Amino acid sequence: MAGLKAGEVNLGTSIMAVQFDGGVIIGADSRTTTGSYIANRVTDKLTEVHDTIYCCRSGSAADTQAVADIVHYYLQMYTVQNGKPTVPLAASLFQEMCYQNKDNLMAGIIVAGWDKDNGGSVWNIPLGGSLHRQPFAIGGSGSTYIYGYCDANYKDGMNQEQCIEFVKNSLALAMDRDGSSGGVIRLAVITEKGVQRLFIPGDKLPVHWQG
Amino acid sequence: MNSIYQAAIDHPVSVPIEHRFDPYVDNGGTLLSIAGEDFCVVAADTRQSEGYSINSRYVPKSVKLSDKTVISMGGCYADCLTLTKRIQQSMEWYHHAHGKTMSTAAVAQMLSIMLYQKRFFPFYSWCILGGLDEEGKGAVYTYDPVGSYERESCRCAGSASSLIQPFLDNQIMFKNQETLKKNLPLDHVLRITKDSFTSATERDIYTGDYLEIFVITKNGVEIQKMDLKKD
Amino acid sequence: MTSRLPRTKGGFNFDNHVRNTMMEGKGLCLPKATKTGTTIVGLIYKDGLVLGADTRATAGPIVADKNCEKIHYLAPNMYCCGAGTAADTEMTTALISSQLELHRLSTGRQARVVTAMTLLKQMLFKYQGHIGAALILGGVDLNGPHLYTIYPHGSTDKLPYVTMGSGSLAAMSVFESRFKADMEREEAITLVKDAIEAGIFNDLGSGSNVDVVVISKDNVEVLRNYAKPNERGIKEASYKYPRGATQVLKTSIRDLVDIKETVQATTTEAMDIS
Repeated sequence: MAGLKAGEVNLGTSIMAVQFDGGVIIGADSRTTTGSYIANRVTDKLTEVHDTIYCCRSGSAADTQAVADIVHYYLQMYTVQNGKPTVPLAASLFQEMCYQNKDNLMAGIIVAGWDKDNGGSVWNIPLGGSLHRQPFAIGGSGSTYIYGYCDANYKDGMNQEQCIEFVKNSLALAMDRDGSSGGVIRLAVITEKGVQRLFIPGDKLPVHWQG
Repeated sequence: MNSIYQAAIDHPVSVPIEHRFDPYVDNGGTLLSIAGEDFCVVAADTRQSEGYSINSRYVPKSVKLSDKTVISMGGCYADCLTLTKRIQQSMEWYHHAHGKTMSTAAVAQMLSIMLYQKRFFPFYSWCILGGLDEEGKGAVYTYDPVGSYERESCRCAGSASSLIQPFLDNQIMFKNQETLKKNLPLDHVLRITKDSFTSATERDIYTGDYLEIFVITKNGVEIQKMDLKKD
Repeated sequence: MTSRLPRTKGGFNFDNHVRNTMMEGKGLCLPKATKTGTTIVGLIYKDGLVLGADTRATAGPIVADKNCEKIHYLAPNMYCCGAGTAADTEMTTALISSQLELHRLSTGRQARVVTAMTLLKQMLFKYQGHIGAALILGGVDLNGPHLYTIYPHGSTDKLPYVTMGSGSLAAMSVFESRFKADMEREEAITLVKDAIEAGIFNDLGSGSNVDVVVISKDNVEVLRNYAKPNERGIKEASYKYPRGATQVLKTSIRDLVDIKETVQATTTEAMDIS
């Protein structure tokens, strides 16, 4: 796997996606760094690749943008010829790119969205380019701090509101501990009806133990 | 496992490993000194920098050591500060021991010894000592960081030295000029000094902010200050 | 037996030491490109956007050009500020500018800013950061004003106010404290000027003058040397050399030679075209 090149822009990142009955909730922090400098404090790491299919990007900003742009293009072409793509199709396109180019990429991507066949689904593609369907997924440097919290608090069958609270709290905890994550929380609720974007400003984040 | 690390285990001394720390920083800045017939001019800019940042716009590089001697230093500011303190203390002890102020020539030789004492962990400092000798004539002593020194009539050191020194060679020492060599009056030396620094400020990023000029005559040391560009 | 334990990764890395020593031994010396310390900025105001840049070009500690142009033309409605390797910023913007013009000619439409951004990022990504161009792309198209930063590795950000280059931290501190959405033109230009001046005075890699470009819906103003906060003072002495200052090594005097030229008209036979 490729490391970050000198001077490369890094999405330090805490990202997350949770499946629920009827759709998915995806969320991310908003910090982009070059070394110790915050190059963008309001980044949108939730990237649309089709109407109801999104990806959460972590790792190199350049690599993940390039991969997302290419998948976005593939899905547009696919739609013209075959109609709406499914989330696993989008996920396998991401997986193929990440696996075949693993020597040159630094990209950890979570693909999530809604389609007719599967309803809401979450697909995790970690650094090596493998593909895992999960009921929920976390990623980025900040995720290491919240594995325990997420495992303890995830419940099967949570409704939309419960999922939003789960994502909000998990990301806020990750951003508190990880220096490469921070800023605001960006969320998206993806259901059959479409995409609803939510924004939690830096001074309205859930407050946990502050020491 | 990475093969190079396996090699390090098989042959513990085959791969060089850096243990050295780096105690030096270059704080930039330019200094110069010109000896006249009965005066000496020591000048330096006051910008102190590190990398692309300015630490301070006013940190004097020159210090008056006596009524007849001024020292100016550039390089690593921490080393310059320590070296200045040592010189001043030695001069005080000399005064207590002998009941008189050290002559410029004596300070000059002492400084050489102080620098060489740290031959294998040198002071990162470019020193120029300016003053009047025993006969009241202008004297300039210049040093390398490990104590090699010589008396000259004019010298520039520091970050813009390569820009200014050829100019001084031509204008003060009349190098490459068929003109009759003459002793320059103080006012003209000051004009050349100021022009040297305003010009160096144009092209050297580490030189600028303010210029501080020490004029040493038989009446003592007079300090002049002027503005330089701040970009 | 510590030497038998696997060595932990971290600290200095000497993986390439043997190879580099061999290459140095064979006389290999990698060339160094000119990197420009720079302050470049951009912000969106009520009717469009303002781009700004300093004018210093450096080669190591030496100022190579005191009044260079860092805001490059891309299209009639788009300009691009460049920081990083001087040659890369110039060639990249020139190349994309030409592609945009061809695109305009073939589509018959004004090029969009996203198009320029995509061309730039795809090119820079292809070269994996070896083209050291850090850019601020600004332009107004049918969708309104757009401002992007583009990093050498090909990542992009879209923001209402941006800075880049070695003076970007100084300039950003001005923007973070004084930026407001929907500013008036004059206020926006002043803020850009102050941000560039923060770079000029606090970053040694930036200096000299302030260049500004204002782009609005159907007007572009190129304000070259909008502010000149660093005029050189007058020299104190005169450096005119007296007659005879230059050493004469050899004297040789020659007489002028008259060259006479005569033109003689010759009658040529008419060409036979039968």
